[in-house]
Amino acid sequence: MAIHKILFASLLICLLIQSSHAATKERLFSDLEKSALEVTATPSRVGEGVVLAAGVDKLSITWKVSSTATKEPEFNAIKVKLCYAPASQVDRPWRKTENELFKDKSCPHKISSWSYDPAMKTAQSFDYTLERDIPTGTYFVRAYAVDAKDHEVAFGQSTNEDKTSNLFSVQAISGRHKSLDIASVCFSVFSVVALLVFFVNEKRKAKIEQSK
Amino acid sequence: MAPNHSNENGSIGSSLHGVTAREQIFSFSVEDAPWSQAIRSDDPTAKFALPVDSEHRAKVFKPLSFAKPHMRAFHLGWISFFTCFISTFAAAPLVPVIRDNLDLTKTDIGNAGVASVSGAIFSRLAMGAVCDLLGARYGTAFSLMLSAPAVFSMSFVADAGSYLAVRFMIGFCLATFVSCQYWTSVMFTGKIIGLVNGCAGGWGDMGGGVTQLLMPMVFHVIKLTGATPFTAWRFAFFIPGFLQIIMGVLVLTLGQDLPDGNLSTLQKSGQVSKDKFSKVFWFAVKNYRTWILFVLYGFSMGVELTINNVISGYFYDRFNLTLHTAGIVAASFGMANFFARPFGGYASDVSARLFGMRGRLWTLWILQTVGALFCIWLGRASSLPIAILAMMLFSVGTQAACGALFGVAPFVSRRSLGLISGLTGAGGNFGSGVTQLVFFSSSRFSTAEGLSLMGVVAVVCTIPVAFIHFPQWGSMFLRPSQHEERSKEEHYYGGEWTEEEKSLGLHEGSIKFAENSRSERGRKAVLADIPTPETGSPAHV
Repeated sequence: MAIHKILFASLLICLLIQSSHAATKERLFSDLEKSALEVTATPSRVGEGVVLAAGVDKLSITWKVSSTATKEPEFNAIKVKLCYAPASQVDRPWRKTENELFKDKSCPHKISSWSYDPAMKTAQSFDYTLERDIPTGTYFVRAYAVDAKDHEVAFGQSTNEDKTSNLFSVQAISGRHKSLDIASVCFSVFSVVALLVFFVNEKRKAKIEQSK
Repeated sequence: MAPNHSNENGSIGSSLHGVTAREQIFSFSVEDAPWSQAIRSDDPTAKFALPVDSEHRAKVFKPLSFAKPHMRAFHLGWISFFTCFISTFAAAPLVPVIRDNLDLTKTDIGNAGVASVSGAIFSRLAMGAVCDLLGARYGTAFSLMLSAPAVFSMSFVADAGSYLAVRFMIGFCLATFVSCQYWTSVMFTGKIIGLVNGCAGGWGDMGGGVTQLLMPMVFHVIKLTGATPFTAWRFAFFIPGFLQIIMGVLVLTLGQDLPDGNLSTLQKSGQVSKDKFSKVFWFAVKNYRTWILFVLYGFSMGVELTINNVISGYFYDRFNLTLHTAGIVAASFGMANFFARPFGGYASDVSARLFGMRGRLWTLWILQTVGALFCIWLGRASSLPIAILAMMLFSVGTQAACGALFGVAPFVSRRSLGLISGLTGAGGNFGSGVTQLVFFSSSRFSTAEGLSLMGVVAVVCTIPVAFIHFPQWGSMFLRPSQHEERSKEEHYYGGEWTEEEKSLGLHEGSIKFAENSRSERGRKAVLADIPTPETGSPAHV
């Protein structure tokens, strides 16, 4: 019976934890101010059908606060992220775009974070080398402006609203290594050979037993 | 030739393919044989650490002992099986990294999940035959050491196709389930076989839970040494690979096929007779009970294997847990096996003591149906605490049903025990492949709907257990046969041998087993004075 009580208590605790999360759940993407930031992302190699290599190629990213931004006084920091284009979200529910910000999984890759200085009115630009854990896919760049409570208030992106223009493709690293391949072959061969050695040995011993 | 009552309480038995040369006589002719003293329980016990029956199968189960040969075989068996579960489901917790490296879609991942359990359908069938012919040690070692290359070859995988192929090949190693159950069945006596098989199976199945914690940890450690994620996951697979090789070597050096020695030695010295594969196969396939167990296991173990592949993702998506938390939930489903499956085996043994085989069948039906009902509840639960509660109850019910099923399986046939274990085991994987394909690989059902529907189908597919009938013991709704001959265990087990084979004495092992299995009559067996029938065996004077 004591076990039942413990189980019930832990269920109640779980419920409480869940309800405490409720307060932050309602922040929506559609509430954010659109185009508050002007963002451009230029790959180091451009052209028809060019695919950037992760870990090698760079993006040249610039962001600037738009003159039409109304929520500008709230800006505390700017977070720049790499986001999936719709083509890379097909049949991949773990990259789905959701309106609730805490559920949205379409912009998982952080590029950089900048503290916002209202005095700086000029465009900020920097180079970003594509990390080696970026998967193969089609991307664009989005910059979120967050307030002092680390809640998003506005954003801007390098593509249009439908996410069809200015996209770039990235090819991930394979993750394979020659040394890994060789080690793998060695251990596999060892496994099979060891088994055969045991088997043949035992058959031989049994034959000797029989002939005795 | 007086009937021998001292062996009434199941202290005699028979080994699978005949017995050692000393025991070519029956209990009722013991007094005449000059070497009869050799099979009294005091002498053979002297060289075994545990008390044994006349077939040298252990009568007690001591999980903390490693004594040769019984407990050692038990531990080697379940740890080998555990290692294979780790390898087969090693990819599941790493899928978030693998899907990014290989650019997989949901369909790719679903198909690979189906492939990971499908390979074992064939290998479990083959394993039954391998055990019957080469012994449990080589069965286990083949499975471990021939699939280790597949585990290592994860380092070569570059796209969805190769990923699926490798997961398919790794899945072959789940055949160790059959060799493990077979090994315990020849090492432990029928009265405790439910509990022993339940422990071996359950602790092995725990690997599916442990891997959800082990692989992310290994991955994390490798990343700390400076590797990128896309290399680290490949290297992480070396750990299950090493474990398989180590276990393979241990099984071959420390293990023993039968209580009296290794199969090849016993066969060559004429103490164990070789059986013909075609006969073994035919008697397994001809027995309708085999196929009912096939379906039943498909919806207890099959459901469990499917859940191992989908539950982490389900909690992650539906309740928005972090990957880490979802992994813990997934692990606890698999870890419940530690006590749930042995409990099922134990419950089967207890109900056999009271009600005989009928008790075992009822226990099986109750556990599996209750588990499936909780699966329906799991799919319908919309709050996290209820879902976790439903999942835990579902895991206990289904896993206990797996244990209870293997309390029944050893009695379906004596000649084809290995192959029946293999067919039943294959049924588990077949059920898993079908359920994953139908309910979890397309967008027709949401995962929640898939879970509930799977539960409904499982309830329906558990009903066939009512049709399993043993003439000597009865079934769920029918009493044992009143017929003079058919109501004897010897008739049932002797029926697997032709008259010609009987005249050669090849069926002696089955007759010994039949005498031993009288305990499946329940309490009545202890109360009744059942003389050893003289019609069931050839004149051997």
